Amino acid sequence: MNSEPLPKPAASFLALLRRALTFTSAKARLVVLVALCLGFAFSSPYFLTSKNLVNVVLNAAVVGILACPSTLLLVARQVDLSVGSAVGFAATALTVVAEKGLGLTAAVFAAIGAAMAVALINAVAITRLRVNSLIATLGTMAAFRGAAKLIGGGRSISVDGFGFLGQFRFTIPGTEFRLPFAVLLLLAVAALFAFLMRYTRYGLHMYAMGANPKAARLAGVALELNVVKAFLLSGAAVALASLIRVSEIGATGPSTGMGLEFLAITGVILGGASLGGGRGTIGGTIVAILILAVLDNGLTLMRITSYWQEVVRGALLVAAVAFDQLRLRRGKPEVRFEL
Amino acid sequence: MSKTPAAGLGSVSVAAGLRVPASASRAPAAGLGSVSVAAGSGVTVSASKASAAASKAATDSPSAPAPAPLLEAENLSKRFGAVEALCSVSFSINAGEVVGLVGDNGAGKSTFVNIVSGVLHPTSGHVRFDGNLLDLANPAAARDAGIETVYQGLALVEMFDIASNFYLGREVLRTGIRRPLGVLNRRLMRNRSKASIEQIAAKFPDLAAAVETMSGGQRQIVAIAKAAFWGGRLLLLDEPTAALGVQESASVLELIRGLAADSNRAMIMIAHNLQHIWSVCTRILVLRRGSLAADLQREETTPEEVVAYITGVR
Repeated sequence: MNSEPLPKPAASFLALLRRALTFTSAKARLVVLVALCLGFAFSSPYFLTSKNLVNVVLNAAVVGILACPSTLLLVARQVDLSVGSAVGFAATALTVVAEKGLGLTAAVFAAIGAAMAVALINAVAITRLRVNSLIATLGTMAAFRGAAKLIGGGRSISVDGFGFLGQFRFTIPGTEFRLPFAVLLLLAVAALFAFLMRYTRYGLHMYAMGANPKAARLAGVALELNVVKAFLLSGAAVALASLIRVSEIGATGPSTGMGLEFLAITGVILGGASLGGGRGTIGGTIVAILILAVLDNGLTLMRITSYWQEVVRGALLVAAVAFDQLRLRRGKPEVRFEL
Repeated sequence: MSKTPAAGLGSVSVAAGLRVPASASRAPAAGLGSVSVAAGSGVTVSASKASAAASKAATDSPSAPAPAPLLEAENLSKRFGAVEALCSVSFSINAGEVVGLVGDNGAGKSTFVNIVSGVLHPTSGHVRFDGNLLDLANPAAARDAGIETVYQGLALVEMFDIASNFYLGREVLRTGIRRPLGVLNRRLMRNRSKASIEQIAAKFPDLAAAVETMSGGQRQIVAIAKAAFWGGRLLLLDEPTAALGVQESASVLELIRGLAADSNRAMIMIAHNLQHIWSVCTRILVLRRGSLAADLQREETTPEEVVAYITGVR
């Protein structure tokens, strides 16, 4: 239906709209990102400074690291809403252990253990107790926000000498760009998940599970085991994100990590993944996370209150899904697994 | 056990005496073209008429032993709570037979298929396949034994292309250090499934297109071609023509007839349309309320008689 050439003169508004809708969403996201950058570059002289651009990508790092496993999960029709609380819980575990004077190594292991514990509870609730992942992780989201406040006493706890992950910068030779280590970690995590999803049997099976769980089961795909693996990967990403978060700020409080799950899932959806499963790519998610980061940064530079930023983010999430639905209705979707 | 697809597509290995070890039958093969006959010694002879000759020899010559039935159901029963979906059903099917399984809704047809394909466990009784007792834990075990199923509703992943659907659950991985990482050998899977589907049905405009863009008949052909591709010795077809138009049914039935020409393979086809049964099947089994009501040769019966057995008039 959309294979026939479009009418040449795009005179009417309808023709323009049709053209916009046949545009692939991957390209559309890139265009939006570039347009936003250009717009902010014209409206603020600070936007294109190297220091500001480094800030943008740094803000994207933690969310991006969490959004990678979220993409993998959503492709298989699973969702992890607990990542924000889990980051808070793991980060608080780190500062509490460090505060007790048990050493930074023990503190780091406590954070990793805490993150993996949340992941394991999610995995058991979903695969053994057969609780829907939306409900199971909504539960752990609430429970571990409380648990973080319990172990931290609801206080703000600071930690000394733990700033490497968040504060170390690589200076790119010959430029003023001082690339944060956290951004390199994001690139590594994104590359790992993109490889998993695009080139391995595991990735193929996750897409199949999301697209048609019954067919996947009949084909011999180990649905439960694959879900467990994905949640453990999510736990590993939470551990890394919590370490970066603590080292950036040097302290934790009762609201550490709050709202990260919203940002990560907004990025995943904006990046083209479908709640119905079977669709979504790491590349799309990363571009979408950058769009969100640029938007936040640009609006701040334009001195627009952060209340408005929240409104814009929410509207964007709904608009992205609506746009996708319009496109799906118009023709065959282009994001799918293909050998 | 080798799961590597055979390089020569369209070839089926047939051992003398029609007994193929399970391991030898694992290579995917679309049995439409040439048939290579492996003698007991393992020597491979390529000749399209050889398999027919071999089966003729096995059945006609008095000196040759009678072929063991490929599938034997013995007192097969399945209960779902208070409902007895199958009660003590016994019959056997030989290689080369195309059996139509008919019966009203709830007669136990799909239950039977689900037991043989490893989806369900029988409550009592058992199934022998190729002389061996079949104790299937899951559908993958059935496929390993050489039983391919085309499920009602197809069980294809609609968002995937043909190649991904052919190989789902039986992917070919790269060798070397990429193997433990589970890296897919895309090119090999794409090329082999392409060669196979082109041989079976040359009417796919875009082989890389998602299955969801195809018509119902095309999807059915993909699902049956997948079963043939893996060279199953027993093909279970659960209502392959149920949702299709006249033209599409005709091409699907033509494909099934082509596959039936391979005398080393048996097929069980479930259908409600007796005209479709008549056009491909050589034998008809009638199930009624979980029991075997009739076992008829097509030449010796009429559609009217089959209907009478289905409805319980006889």
